[in-house]
Amino acid sequence: MMDLFSNLALGFGVALTPINLGLCLIGALVGTLVGVLPGIGTIATVAMLLPITFGLPPVGALIMLAGIYYGAQYGGSTTSILVNIPGEATSVVTTLDGFQMAKQGRAGPALAIAAIGSFFAGCVATVLIAVLGAPLTKLALAFGPAEYFSLMVLGLIFAVVLAKGSVLKAIAMIVLGLLLSMVGSDIETGASRMAFNIPELADGLGFATVAMGVFGFAEIIRNLDAGAEMDRDLVQQKITGLMPTKKDLIDSAPAILRGTILGSILGILPGGGAVIASFAAYTFEKKIARDPSRFGRGAIEGVAAPESANNAAAQTSFIPLLTLGIPPNAVMALMVGAMTIHGIVPGPQVMQNQPELVWGMIASMWIGNLMLLVINLPLVGIWVRLLRVPYRLMFPAIVVFCAIGIYSINNAPVDVVLAGAFGLLGYWLIKHEFEPAPLLLGMVLGPLMEENLRRALLISRGDATVFLTRPLSAYLLQIAIFLLVIAILPNVRRRRDEVFVESES
Amino acid sequence: MSDVPSHRPDHSIFPKWVRGPQDFVGGLALMAIAAFALWASSDLQGMHGFSFGAGTAPRIFAVLLLVLGAAITATGILTDGPAHATYAWRGPLFVSLAILAFAASIRPLGLVVAAFSSFMIAALGTPETRWKETIVVGICLTAGCSLLFPYALGLPLQLLPSFLTP
Repeated sequence: MMDLFSNLALGFGVALTPINLGLCLIGALVGTLVGVLPGIGTIATVAMLLPITFGLPPVGALIMLAGIYYGAQYGGSTTSILVNIPGEATSVVTTLDGFQMAKQGRAGPALAIAAIGSFFAGCVATVLIAVLGAPLTKLALAFGPAEYFSLMVLGLIFAVVLAKGSVLKAIAMIVLGLLLSMVGSDIETGASRMAFNIPELADGLGFATVAMGVFGFAEIIRNLDAGAEMDRDLVQQKITGLMPTKKDLIDSAPAILRGTILGSILGILPGGGAVIASFAAYTFEKKIARDPSRFGRGAIEGVAAPESANNAAAQTSFIPLLTLGIPPNAVMALMVGAMTIHGIVPGPQVMQNQPELVWGMIASMWIGNLMLLVINLPLVGIWVRLLRVPYRLMFPAIVVFCAIGIYSINNAPVDVVLAGAFGLLGYWLIKHEFEPAPLLLGMVLGPLMEENLRRALLISRGDATVFLTRPLSAYLLQIAIFLLVIAILPNVRRRRDEVFVESES
Repeated sequence: MSDVPSHRPDHSIFPKWVRGPQDFVGGLALMAIAAFALWASSDLQGMHGFSFGAGTAPRIFAVLLLVLGAAITATGILTDGPAHATYAWRGPLFVSLAILAFAASIRPLGLVVAAFSSFMIAALGTPETRWKETIVVGICLTAGCSLLFPYALGLPLQLLPSFLTP
């Protein structure tokens, strides 16, 4: 316990330096901005800002990128409530009740509850990371290559189970990602694999390049499909009475608590993250409500629960990254990229060798959440005005920003062309209902999986049963198989689809 | 997948036995990618003894993808699924052209030309573009980028065409 306090003290010492406070603020503001603007997601933003973090110290870079991620969860709720446009996928369910509340003239309380819920969830998640960090790190040190491999298999299976749509297609996307990650030099022999003597491919496909293509460009092209003029039916009336009533607070308190717990759990699980968390929290609230028919007509729990859940999940998803070195979702995968740029290999050794980095980031999350709570509510007016910028002007600007971002990672024009190609691939994938997120996860985990698979087999002298004879590894694989079977079982599938179908519009 | 159209358009280019064209085409494309990867990694060393060669893992994943692609194709044949998607041409074409223009011009012509030209080309991606405002916004954006990236963020980007700089 004393450890915890001294660690947190160390963290706050790092996070409270002026430069880190400033970076935290910038991250939180940029996050809110992209959260507010539909048509540009967190993944594309983080990918876009990766090159900017080159010049920063590693702690500052990670603090800023983390701020973007949880800031976006705050920002997404604002537009969901005020204009019925979810700025982020994580806030889609918030539109259901949030916008109804706004129509009833209760936009103020809805925004306030979303912010308070997010802040509470953020605090809990921060403590959770701090508490779970050290023991999980110890556990991770006991992991051999076989265990690591099995853990990653489990992680990928989780991603499949939690992805929406066909299980088969999600697995195919993961394998495609694994295959793409093989491009470039082989780690052990140095042989050039599938690079076709293109020098830019010798190092492998850049993760940021693929992410930007599949999430940034593909998203833009898809949006253009629908016609750039999105329906922006702004709530015209003034937002009055920001403070929720006592009844609002009493109604939403348990929902916030449940959302936080659910979100924290789903955030830690690989493949899940904030999107799943908000959907699950909303469905759960509706299930246990005494009067489910209130939902969709402005029930404050319908705002409180998902908004708490997505924020909690956004933050707890740092746990597997910081302790095991395994990114549980695409944004965390980009964080790996940011760490690698600074020469940090994510994993248990980071916590031991560079405690100021990990704890500084954890402390900054709490500070960032506090900043968001304080700055966001007064700024609501500005964010809403931003929404009046028409998409026909926004999307060319996003294209240019993305292009500059990718180019400046390596100063390589070929990277920009590759991102464009992956943009078209991403558009094709969307058209065929393939989820791009598992692809990205597979691409990140690919090299790690190959390395651990190789090592495990080398240690066991080619005996593939090593994954089943080592107890921890066997447990992990059993859970993975169990999950996969559950996901394929018909009635669970139906229920899983319902969760998504219910609120997807 | 609930809204399976009961009356599929008669002019579908797919034979009758393809009941889910979307999955059918998707699976075939994945199989093609897998086959390509198998071919591309065929020159790499395989297993030697019990240690992996450079080509082992790529081939494992490629074979897996081949199998999964086949399974998805089979799904497209055996079960009813959504019709094949229609693609728009305008958005993809001009966004791609904008990206290519940026990649081609950033080195020789510098950031100012690259950013402005790719902004204008991308704007062609939608028929709703109004040219006056687009040009104004494009100029502002270019100016902003020229200040933000090289100066505020210190990225080594060249601003002007190389033949203009001493």
